[in-house]
Amino acid sequence: MQTQVLPNFVKVKRKISPAHVVLKTAAILGLALLCVIFLFPVLWMIVSSLKTQDQIYAQLSSWRTFLPATWNVGKWFVAYKNLFDSFDYFGRSILNSVIYCSITILGVLLLNSFAGYALARLEFPGSRVIGTIVLLLIIVPVETSIVPLYVILKNLGLLTKELRVVGYLIPNFVSAFYIFMFRQFFIGMPKELEEAARIDGSGRLSTYFRIIMPLSKAIFATVAIFTFMGAWNEYVFAQLMFSKPEQQPLQVFLQLVNSFNPKDLSMVMAALTFSTIPIAIVYIFCQRYIIEGVSFSGLK
Amino acid sequence: MEKAKKTKSIYYKFLGKTYIKSDSVVGAVFILPAVVLGAIFVIAPMVVSLSYAFTDANLLKLNEVGWAGLRQFKKAFTDRFMWNAFKNTMIFVVKVVPLQLLAALGLALILNTKIRGNTFFRWAFFCPVMLSLAVTSFLWMNLLNPEEGLINALLKVFHIPPQPFLESPKQAMNVIVVISAWQGAGYQMLIFLSGLKNIPPELYEAAGVDGAGSGTKFFRITLPSILPTFSFVLVTMLIGAFRLMTQPMIMTQGGPTDSTMTMSYYIYQQGIKYRDVGYSSAIALLYTLFMSTVALTLRKVTDQKD
Repeated sequence: MQTQVLPNFVKVKRKISPAHVVLKTAAILGLALLCVIFLFPVLWMIVSSLKTQDQIYAQLSSWRTFLPATWNVGKWFVAYKNLFDSFDYFGRSILNSVIYCSITILGVLLLNSFAGYALARLEFPGSRVIGTIVLLLIIVPVETSIVPLYVILKNLGLLTKELRVVGYLIPNFVSAFYIFMFRQFFIGMPKELEEAARIDGSGRLSTYFRIIMPLSKAIFATVAIFTFMGAWNEYVFAQLMFSKPEQQPLQVFLQLVNSFNPKDLSMVMAALTFSTIPIAIVYIFCQRYIIEGVSFSGLK
Repeated sequence: MEKAKKTKSIYYKFLGKTYIKSDSVVGAVFILPAVVLGAIFVIAPMVVSLSYAFTDANLLKLNEVGWAGLRQFKKAFTDRFMWNAFKNTMIFVVKVVPLQLLAALGLALILNTKIRGNTFFRWAFFCPVMLSLAVTSFLWMNLLNPEEGLINALLKVFHIPPQPFLESPKQAMNVIVVISAWQGAGYQMLIFLSGLKNIPPELYEAAGVDGAGSGTKFFRITLPSILPTFSFVLVTMLIGAFRLMTQPMIMTQGGPTDSTMTMSYYIYQQGIKYRDVGYSSAIALLYTLFMSTVALTLRKVTDQKD
């Protein structure tokens, strides 16, 4: 408040000059233009999923291509209904995605939080070595081609029709990065909490479940969200593992919808939109954790 | 104090170091699942890849693997399809990294000010990040359809002749560059924004009192403060770009005339489609060496600047 008395108060006031206003307006206009470039494909995808294929093509060269063909909301979701009617396994592929994601999240949270806690708090023979390996795996970019992983799965007998799901899910459970994230979080927690519990006669295990886990909701949520997005969006490994439509997750099933003959563009756009909705929901409602995770990775 | 004595730990020595027994037991239980799965699905594939690089392993005959010495590596150096894939990947990297980096940084710098509609703009630029790589690829494939796609319809409005896009060997890779930057820039923008937010405002105030202009503030405070973030984003973006695969796999299958075949995709195809695990492993090993060298050198250079 004292700064107002300083002589450069006048200078500060003069800074909001016409040139400044012009500059600011130009920046906003430029941003708006960029905004259009960033948004129009997504907008078109959503709007087109609410039309029939004939309407999409008829309005392609007009500005109406970015607006719904009708404002009768009841007619908007025909393409979505068609998806379920035309593809026997579309619903199944959604279910598959949900199941695969849930199992992956559970496995990732359990395994990596345990490992992270062990590396943060417990010293035992080999703990230093394992900690170093985890760090190395994060720093050195290995061409993690899925070819050798496929070879291993083959040798383990996990490529049969029944066990394929296991072979697809288990390799994603451990992640050096998530172990590191958990470790960093647990290191930052005050040690006194555990010591107090210990003095009260609580063992390490019960301390972990009763005291550490409830206080670590933020990191568990962050890892769960990032795991969900990774698992939901997985494509390359999933298309390699599942050639049968009844086993495919949604992302791979898109291929079938897109290459279906005769092609129905509105159905393709409906499938694309549909498969994006869960991710959008997560982004909108879990912003806080996402920003936290992003800044964690950025400040590492 | 009495209670603390009751739960006194039992110590033991291992290789000259003292450990607490109960900690070791719990530690072992906690880390075992991760170590086992990590050994099988993270470490073992690396070992497999490393050792198969010196063999003639075939995906269908993994029981009869013969020693090949350095033959696979010699083959790699004379394989013009591999060099083409390498060249394509480098072209992609050299184009997409500056484009995406500048877009992300520029947007973050503008949106870090108190501009009107800030929140809306943030969401708008972040919007494409919500699309998966598969969705992005299928969407743009349809948008860029030369005969009936939206983009050519829009170009027609501006009296620009229709373009072949993904069907032209000259344009396909550039199209993938633009699409990838479009999809990814919002994410790095968010990282930059969180880096910018962490700059203490006192720095700017102090500089203002000292009479520094906005240009000086930018070059003396803003840029040095986000340099660590910048180097982190640069390295991760670079490695991500080196691994380009999903977009060409879906949109072009590496074509037309191999113009969008990338290293990761080539390694994948050699191993899975042509079942030549030995050769695929050899190229993967060479490529890993290349990527690690670039990433570690870059990290060193940027770390020294701090």
